[in-house]
Amino acid sequence: MPDCVPRAGDEASREACRTIAQVLRSDLRFEFPPRQFVPESLLTAIPAMNPDAPNFKDWESIGAGILVVTRASVTGGKMSVEVRVHSIPSGQTMLAKLYSGNLDNPRVFAHQASDDIMSLASIKGVARSKIAFVSDRDATKEKRSKEIYIMDYDGFNPRRLTVNGSLNILPAWSSDGRSLAYVSYRQGSPDIFQASIYEGRSANLTAGKGAQAFAPAYSRDGKRIAYASNRGGNMDIWVANADGSGARKTTSSSASETAPCWSPTGQEIAFTSGRGGTPQIYVMDAEGLNVRRLTTVGNYNDAPAWNPSKEFPELAYTSRLEGGFEIAVLDIASGQVRQITQGRGSCEYPSWAPNGRHLTFSCNRGGTWQVAVSNRDGSEVQTLAAGPGNNVQPDWGP
Amino acid sequence: MTRVRLSSSLLLLVAASLMLIEGCGHKRPPASATGAGTYPRASSPGSGAEPLDSGPDVRPLDSDLTSGEDITFSDASGEGGPLADVYFEYDQSALTDAARATLAQHATWIKAHGGAKLSVEGHCDERGTVEYNLALGDQRAQAARDYLVSLGVTRERLNAISLGKERPVDASHTEAAWARNRRAHFRVSR
Repeated sequence: MPDCVPRAGDEASREACRTIAQVLRSDLRFEFPPRQFVPESLLTAIPAMNPDAPNFKDWESIGAGILVVTRASVTGGKMSVEVRVHSIPSGQTMLAKLYSGNLDNPRVFAHQASDDIMSLASIKGVARSKIAFVSDRDATKEKRSKEIYIMDYDGFNPRRLTVNGSLNILPAWSSDGRSLAYVSYRQGSPDIFQASIYEGRSANLTAGKGAQAFAPAYSRDGKRIAYASNRGGNMDIWVANADGSGARKTTSSSASETAPCWSPTGQEIAFTSGRGGTPQIYVMDAEGLNVRRLTTVGNYNDAPAWNPSKEFPELAYTSRLEGGFEIAVLDIASGQVRQITQGRGSCEYPSWAPNGRHLTFSCNRGGTWQVAVSNRDGSEVQTLAAGPGNNVQPDWGP
Repeated sequence: MTRVRLSSSLLLLVAASLMLIEGCGHKRPPASATGAGTYPRASSPGSGAEPLDSGPDVRPLDSDLTSGEDITFSDASGEGGPLADVYFEYDQSALTDAARATLAQHATWIKAHGGAKLSVEGHCDERGTVEYNLALGDQRAQAARDYLVSLGVTRERLNAISLGKERPVDASHTEAAWARNRRAHFRVSR
């Protein structure tokens, strides 16, 4: 990538320029394999580009089929970023957009541009998506707290959502990204709270039932919430309206059931049950009928996550393999299982990206637990630098 | 495979150059989008009570209390409190003989302190998954609670909750640490 060439010597603007390029490159590389990019060493083989009139023959000569040109200008506290995508063989401009706004977060300009470029390839981009997770970074010796955080999908800008100094765990996004359900012990017994994150409010959805509630999961249409509760004696899957009203028990074995997750159509719920002796993954319809076992490999399977994309009918889950836990993916139609993670220590708690092409999960390979992402085939595993402490239980939101 | 239909050669090059343009002078292409995102504000915490460290109002002690002991509080590690942890076998919620013996002593203490309410916390070691350990912790808490009830403790005084593997007493990765973490822990409130 050639150096950014400023018209004036303003360091802040150059910095913003560099950020845009670096972030956009990372975003695009997240979706396309490395071999689809022209090696940077080849850029020195051609003359410097004139952004107003790129010489497509130069680019063709080093094997590029697509050219992405970005320009940025900064005036006062505002930034403008111009992005053009050219098809080199035809010389056509496939995309031309201007992004403008405040300078306080240059990364989001690049993320927006990346998502727009992805749509040219008919791929739903996830560069603007967020991952919620749990961190113990705020714990003290007296208050061994865990709080809910939200970060960009690439690990940047972690922001704290809960500030109650208690145990807050198991975050779950709503499909519209405006609400986050989570479990909090702030009132003593664990209940499910719904945070309306743009309004700064939290509501207790399961109060007053004299029982505990865990593992919330919103249906995709946002109308229902499934969760695990011992309200009926032992731990079962319950389904309620999204505001917590109308709760009904949907499982009835004498074993524990937990970790419900909705199918993309909202007609089925996958969950973990100990009814077979050890934890395994089952599926039932949303009313609790027609229970079928899904996992047959391994003696400890938990935490199902249903790929949201119609293109990939598969379930990710945590599986105990050779002493530790790893992430596995079950192809629902064929029953084939592929292992996504491997190595020292364990990985658990998978969650799918909104386009179904990536997974997030947490692993303790480096000593502490950290959130990581990978492609759905297990390639390109990257640990996200989400901040200090142990960072676990990621949920990938819109 | 990714269906990238951008061109026949399917090669992509990013950000060939960036140039600063001060002020105006370039033609504005169609479509603009606001770049600045909106950030979620931290939610205001619920006004819930502190977890069980302040409980209901003090009630008069039962009139048949003879020993006159002060009610003491157990802290997070279980030390300094009147009710010691009871322990479980790996992956089990069944009570061992040792656990039953300890619980019998606890039952005596609880019945002698009529004003006390307790939470019975079920904990697990780190070797299970997050969610299933919350279920196992619940089984342990209920096992301990049910046994106390069978020994005459009023059920309403006991709140069984699961902490799964979220609050170990010992974060090391040894058999000894795991054994200490597989426990039912008792918190007393007035």
